[in-house]
Amino acid sequence: MQTLTYLFPADRPAAQPAHVGVVASGDLEILVEPLAPGAVAGGRAEVRVRTSVDGFDTIWHAVLARFFTRSGLLGRWELNDSGATPGVVLLRLAQAAAVATRTEHEA
Amino acid sequence: MNETSAPDALDWQHVLRRRGFLELDARSRAQALLDPGTMRVLCGPFDRLESPWLAPQGIVPQADDGVVIARGTVDGRPAVIASIEQRFLGGAIGEVSGAKISEALRMAAADSRAGTPTAAVLLLETGGVRLQEANLGLAAVAEICSALLELRPLAPVIGVVAGEVGSFGGVSIAAGLCTRLLVTREARIGLNGPAVIEQEGGVAEFDSSDRTLIWAVDGGEQRHATGLADALVPDDADLLRTAVRDAVAVGPLVKGSHRSERLDVLRTRLASLDPARPPAPHQLRAWWGAAYEPVQAPTRPRAESAQGPASRGRAWLTALTAGVRPWAPIPSVLRAQRDGAVYLAVVPDPDNPFHRARRGEVGLTECLALAEQIRAVVAEDAGETDKRALVAVVDLPSQAYGLIEEMSGLHQAIAACVDAYQAARTAGHPVVALVVGTALSGGFLAHGLQAAQILALDEPGVEIHAMHKPAAARITQRTVAQLDELAQTITPLSYDVRDWAKLGLCDGLLAVENADEPTAKDTAIVGAAIAEAIVRARTGPRDLSRRLDSPGALATRGASRAVRERLARQWIHEQAS
Repeated sequence: MQTLTYLFPADRPAAQPAHVGVVASGDLEILVEPLAPGAVAGGRAEVRVRTSVDGFDTIWHAVLARFFTRSGLLGRWELNDSGATPGVVLLRLAQAAAVATRTEHEA
Repeated sequence: MNETSAPDALDWQHVLRRRGFLELDARSRAQALLDPGTMRVLCGPFDRLESPWLAPQGIVPQADDGVVIARGTVDGRPAVIASIEQRFLGGAIGEVSGAKISEALRMAAADSRAGTPTAAVLLLETGGVRLQEANLGLAAVAEICSALLELRPLAPVIGVVAGEVGSFGGVSIAAGLCTRLLVTREARIGLNGPAVIEQEGGVAEFDSSDRTLIWAVDGGEQRHATGLADALVPDDADLLRTAVRDAVAVGPLVKGSHRSERLDVLRTRLASLDPARPPAPHQLRAWWGAAYEPVQAPTRPRAESAQGPASRGRAWLTALTAGVRPWAPIPSVLRAQRDGAVYLAVVPDPDNPFHRARRGEVGLTECLALAEQIRAVVAEDAGETDKRALVAVVDLPSQAYGLIEEMSGLHQAIAACVDAYQAARTAGHPVVALVVGTALSGGFLAHGLQAAQILALDEPGVEIHAMHKPAAARITQRTVAQLDELAQTITPLSYDVRDWAKLGLCDGLLAVENADEPTAKDTAIVGAAIAEAIVRARTGPRDLSRRLDSPGALATRGASRAVRERLARQWIHEQAS
């Protein structure tokens, strides 16, 4: 198991906490929590990844950088990974972002 | 309620509208069974009550430890659902996930006692005890069983095994204790999984590559057809919700009518078996039928010899009841009474007709004999204020790993034994376990872990664990050396009884001179410790709650205590999490 931490520039606040996925072979669990209100301006998304597969730091950075460049979603992100492929990781990230930014109207 | 109306196979409109239940994750399964809009998750992922034992072993934890606890209503009736996420570590029960289930059951029992009957629905998909948390997982399963039995007279506890993992290991004992058990055709229920039996007993005992055999033995259809499950429901969320609503609406069953209390049925069912000529699974259906009622069985001559090979269980039972002749209801179960305490031990019987239970394993007939003896003591003392103590002398290699055991439902037999011990404890009998040798896995769950007080000899031959070392190493994909090294820092993994004593389950670690042949001094020391334990059990709580308040638990079971505290707080606050 390897633990990786990252900070990514982000400006869009998460509206609510989101939890998606399961720590199951080829899948991962993602928790997103909004940051404290003061942290929004010029903020950064805090990301912690715990992965069962060691040695993929570069790929994790690339996948996460691509996601946060597009979404810019602020928050505290925790990823508990059990060997998900980059495609699965991106899908779960998008799913978590959708839940975290969902408004009452959409729900 | 033996058959939930299945949709007509030709009703394509229904088939097309059907919402599958199996494909749902743990949370969605809970949601599908509760009334819409009523679900409130307790101790959810953002409470971050994850397992403290996994990350130090290099295993990624899950934020809710793989169990969803959800309060809500079922057809307007208050209910709590415990839903196991089968994809996380195969649904295996660890310290936190186990504590979540047992504390939810205890809260439901407290509400029920206070005038709001609160049903529990257990969605069981699990391989059993999580071997990475071995002894704490085993303890958690014992506590789940005890809490389930505390709730069961007050409000129904509905077990649901939908698939695909099925219910295996110690958790299946809980399935055998439920008020009602619902299964689908995709469910499997067993104590020992096929691969474990093959590993322990060889391919001739159980060929785990034989899918047909596995489903014929463990499959939901077979369990229903042999009376070990109450309803066979199609994989359809709406039909399952209807079945759960019906089961909850019936309410608690009359005392004595639960499957795990029907020793009359277990007795005749076991008597109908000739272990030398075991029936094929389909024959068993014909013999036993779907109703859990006594069957026709030939009277077999019963050997009642109390003689047998030397074992620690025999040696200690004999020493502690010196002057009294032990009696053997069956050759592998010894009973002796002295000074107002009834001692029970499971001992080797080389002539045991059940060949997988010859080395002192807890098998089908051992469970029945123990349960019958305990129930007899409880019945005889019903009117007494000073009830006799029960002392379980524990020296057992494990439960019996065998084909006939699984086919006949060893999980149900162990449930009968667990039910009897818990009933004795709640009736006011001081129940004490004395571990003098090995105490492994399902055997210890049946005989020992329901005790109010647990004593163990401080001696290298005493080994308490969820599985013996080579098997645990294989299953967790480690070498025995790696396992030993991890056990240095991960206390619940250790096979050393001194480490086990730190988990908060041990009420006395007793140094002796000779554990195989106790000396007079040994017998005096242990006898005095038992007498003290009996006094403590008599005055202490009748449930297992004090295990979490012991000095050992304060140090090592912080996670269980956090679950208890958080769940109790969130249980009453409507806005929590």
